[in-house]
Amino acid sequence: MKLVDSIKKDFNTMTLVLIPVAIAINVVIGQIVVLLRLPVYLDSIGTVLVGAICGPWAGALTGTLSNIIWGLLIDPNAFPWFPVALFIGFVSGWCAHFGLFRTWWGVVITGFLVAITAALVSTPIAVYLYGGITASGSSFITAFLLQTGRDLVSAVLSTNFLVEPVDKIATALLAYAIIRGLSRRYLMRFPRAENVTPKKA
Amino acid sequence: MAVIVIKNLTYTYPTMDHPALREVSLEVEAGEFVAIIGPNGAGKSTLCYTLAGFVPHFFKGELQGDVYVAGQDIRHVRLEDWVLKVGLVFQNPFNQISGAKFTVYEEIAFGLENIGVPREEMKRRVEEVMALTGIADLADRSPYALSGGQQQRVALASILVMQPEVLVLDEPTSQLDPIGSREVFQVIRQLAHQGVTIVMAEHKVEWIAQYADRVIALAEGEIIASGQPAEVLTDPRLPEYGIGISRYTAVARQAAEEGLWPPHQRLPVTLEEAAAGFRAIEETDYARLR
Amino acid sequence: MVERLSFYLERNSPLHRLNPTTKLVVAFTLILVAFLGRGLFLPSLIFLLILAPLSFLGQVGREFLRTTLNLLLPLFAFLFVMQSLFYPGGKTVLFGFWIFAVKLEGVRFAFLTATRVLVMVSSFLLLLLTTHPGVLLLDLTQRGLPASVAYILASTLQIIPQMQAKAATILDAQRSRGLDTSGSLGRRIRALLPLVGPLVFGSLVDVEERAIAIEARGFRSSRPKTSLVEIEDRPLERALRWLCLLAFILALGSHLWP
Repeated sequence: MKLVDSIKKDFNTMTLVLIPVAIAINVVIGQIVVLLRLPVYLDSIGTVLVGAICGPWAGALTGTLSNIIWGLLIDPNAFPWFPVALFIGFVSGWCAHFGLFRTWWGVVITGFLVAITAALVSTPIAVYLYGGITASGSSFITAFLLQTGRDLVSAVLSTNFLVEPVDKIATALLAYAIIRGLSRRYLMRFPRAENVTPKKA
Repeated sequence: MAVIVIKNLTYTYPTMDHPALREVSLEVEAGEFVAIIGPNGAGKSTLCYTLAGFVPHFFKGELQGDVYVAGQDIRHVRLEDWVLKVGLVFQNPFNQISGAKFTVYEEIAFGLENIGVPREEMKRRVEEVMALTGIADLADRSPYALSGGQQQRVALASILVMQPEVLVLDEPTSQLDPIGSREVFQVIRQLAHQGVTIVMAEHKVEWIAQYADRVIALAEGEIIASGQPAEVLTDPRLPEYGIGISRYTAVARQAAEEGLWPPHQRLPVTLEEAAAGFRAIEETDYARLR
Repeated sequence: MVERLSFYLERNSPLHRLNPTTKLVVAFTLILVAFLGRGLFLPSLIFLLILAPLSFLGQVGREFLRTTLNLLLPLFAFLFVMQSLFYPGGKTVLFGFWIFAVKLEGVRFAFLTATRVLVMVSSFLLLLLTTHPGVLLLDLTQRGLPASVAYILASTLQIIPQMQAKAATILDAQRSRGLDTSGSLGRRIRALLPLVGPLVFGSLVDVEERAIAIEARGFRSSRPKTSLVEIEDRPLERALRWLCLLAFILALGSHLWP
């Protein structure tokens, strides 16, 4: 499939209407998680959901716009992190494309791959924009690693590798739970429903 | 001339075993106001979606038979252009707000922007339709900060402004109080006089009796009655199918069983008809007593 | 949770009347200059001499300063403590206590990073405080932003307050039924699902009807779209935007200069 066709395929009207809801899910659950003082973010459940049932390009757009909305509404600090969210949607979309959204263990693998990507993409942003130390609690780990003589980039990267998987695996599993709660009739309206429904015999 | 011609339409939604519509045949003339009644799940919404092209183009599924609107086969139209010909207003007002716009005025103009109407004409049409639907005072409000009834009128205005030839309404007054309902029926009656063809699924039989030209009763996907409102709405079979009847019809039916309704006179649907009937029987009673 | 559309505050100021794209370009330029330019005090000067005065010109000065501080103070405190103690390659010890030593290089680095982030966040904030998101989207659409992206952003901004209100209602209802939202970590995790379930499924169900609604409004029409409102753009502003490009090139030059 040509690139343009692959991109076009993701965006039917259902996708365009789902994305705002998905972003709202990201934001509102993200805020509830803060309210409940849970040690995770869970602010990309909607992004993973769109990636899985509408495709990687739609997932990437959802992630990007999600950060723009977070910046517009809550904290402009979110803007520069949009590439991380973009890749979260993109990678979960491809994972679903290759059938990883049919079983719970496939979803755990998706969460892990998404976490690795997020760690890789967020490291340069944390290093160049914030000098490696951000406002999150995980910066204590970074500081500790710096003390042990690591250089900044590898300290930030190791921190991210340590922190991301729990959050992203939980995120992917929650997105999976949502998909399992939706009817087949409903899912069929989305462009990549075949990613999450049983294969035709 | 018949604008809508449906022949033996049978339609099944994807993943469903039973058809939502069975062997439906129907013709509607230009400028006619046809009301569809029926219990929930009878296929009213499906019929509305079919005329508006969403069945089969949005919902997919299996469509048999013929559906022609304005001479065009519904199966071969492009949905994105078809919406200019057939306007669709449905029940839940909140879901009909596009979300793309921040004021009522812009919300109503949204459809015109999408189909490329020039700015001056756009403003004229938006203002006309806001006056027609009685929402001119809401122009600068956020469409999300309105009551359900106000939102429903914004939804109606947003479709009317696109000037469709056929207007399909799926229970558009469910969120409206009696005054709001009457206003909507009056607006729609007026449009029918101007030549717009109206198909409206609706529960409020008293309003239908007053304003519609013809009534079609659906049950389990089939047409069970079709004809003049006074005829169909007093059909004794309606309650069996779970279709609500007017309280005046119910009262008069009870009265008729006790011999208190003029024999040979059709049962009433509206207050006026009921009053006329009871007045007639009263006069004969008095006559007998004297 | 805050239920509002954006940071926007309605005022009648010269800043509010500027074309949204002009404000966006200026914001980006200031950020890029702060990050690319040389000099320890460049970002702080940008904030003090340009952004802060502009915020008062835009009649949003108090909100601007308050929100900026609210957003950044915790980060700055954290940044200074961590960087002054743990900055790699710090040599010049200013003073020490217990096992820690505060180093000059770390303090300098923390100051530079903090003021750069300050310029980034406050530039965007000033844009957002003085620009209605609808107007910004309209202007960007007229300059080529796809209508679907503008639709997504506008409707997201309007859905979020609805969903926050719904979340608050569900939260109250669950609490009155004895749901524990404080308690231990395990309890709080178990509190999450009954909260999130109704919220998520409730909003997903609406998607189908909303899709039908925007299709019915010709959203997918193949005809070229028109616009109800035209956003003003003056020649002076166009000149200002070219000036911004020049400033960016100069900053880039100084950054690349050996």
